Amino acid sequence: MQAVTAHDSPCAESGELRLAAHASRLGMAREYARQAAAEFGLDAESCDEFVFAVNEAVTNAIEHGAPDEDGQITISAVVGGDRLTLSVRDYGTFAGSAPNTTALAESGRGFALMTRLTDAVQVCVGKGATTVRLSRLAHDRAAAGETR
Amino acid sequence: MSFFYIMDDVTIEDPDRGEDVVVLAAGGEIDFSATPQLRQRIVAHIEAGKRRLVLDLTQVTFIDSTAIGVLIGALVRLQDAGGGSVTVVCDEYNKKVLRIFEIAGVDNLIEVHGTREEALTALALSG
Repeated sequence: MQAVTAHDSPCAESGELRLAAHASRLGMAREYARQAAAEFGLDAESCDEFVFAVNEAVTNAIEHGAPDEDGQITISAVVGGDRLTLSVRDYGTFAGSAPNTTALAESGRGFALMTRLTDAVQVCVGKGATTVRLSRLAHDRAAAGETR
Repeated sequence: MSFFYIMDDVTIEDPDRGEDVVVLAAGGEIDFSATPQLRQRIVAHIEAGKRRLVLDLTQVTFIDSTAIGVLIGALVRLQDAGGGSVTVVCDEYNKKVLRIFEIAGVDNLIEVHGTREEALTALALSG
């Protein structure tokens, strides 16, 4: 494993997970997302899809975003009504670029895949922070794929 | 913590075509922390002149878009080198991998077989 200077600090009170902005932490982000999706009640396949989407958002934050002064990014899960929303926040300013839609492109698939595997993807660009929100609706709890 | 490994590669000689087949088997989670290693291994084979690659993903439990990118990158490198193929082995029960192939729309670019034997047979037939 490579050296990581920042510490990971799960915060039980707020439900937030602060992670060192390093690829070696992707497994922790996936575990966090899987737990949130399972507690929300998604079936196994929908959990996998949600975890995949979250992994893409966290990968983007690590690869293209910027960590806070402690070298961390933040992820948090919130359930509101029939919707599970997981937010991935980094502290860079999303520059925005057209997704690469060429079949033989080596990169640029992340956002397209996120939109296909969630019910909503929202990118909020604020002063000094970018938050990507991924939402999945509760209908997946009852019958996977039935309404998708 | 992500868990990922690549087994030692297996080279299968094909004297009829004079072109070996290289089988790479990976396992665990292929995410952004693992793809550089996978890319390096694949590129080394292409640079060494190998043109037919079989990637056995039977033991893979997670792939992301960067892993898909590595496979597409291999295809492009092979095309640039005059042609070749990337064949994936993944059994039908490994939905986590197959579903991502399908959603990413690469299942029509990369041939997927359920077993290594099927993949090698298909390569022999396509020769």
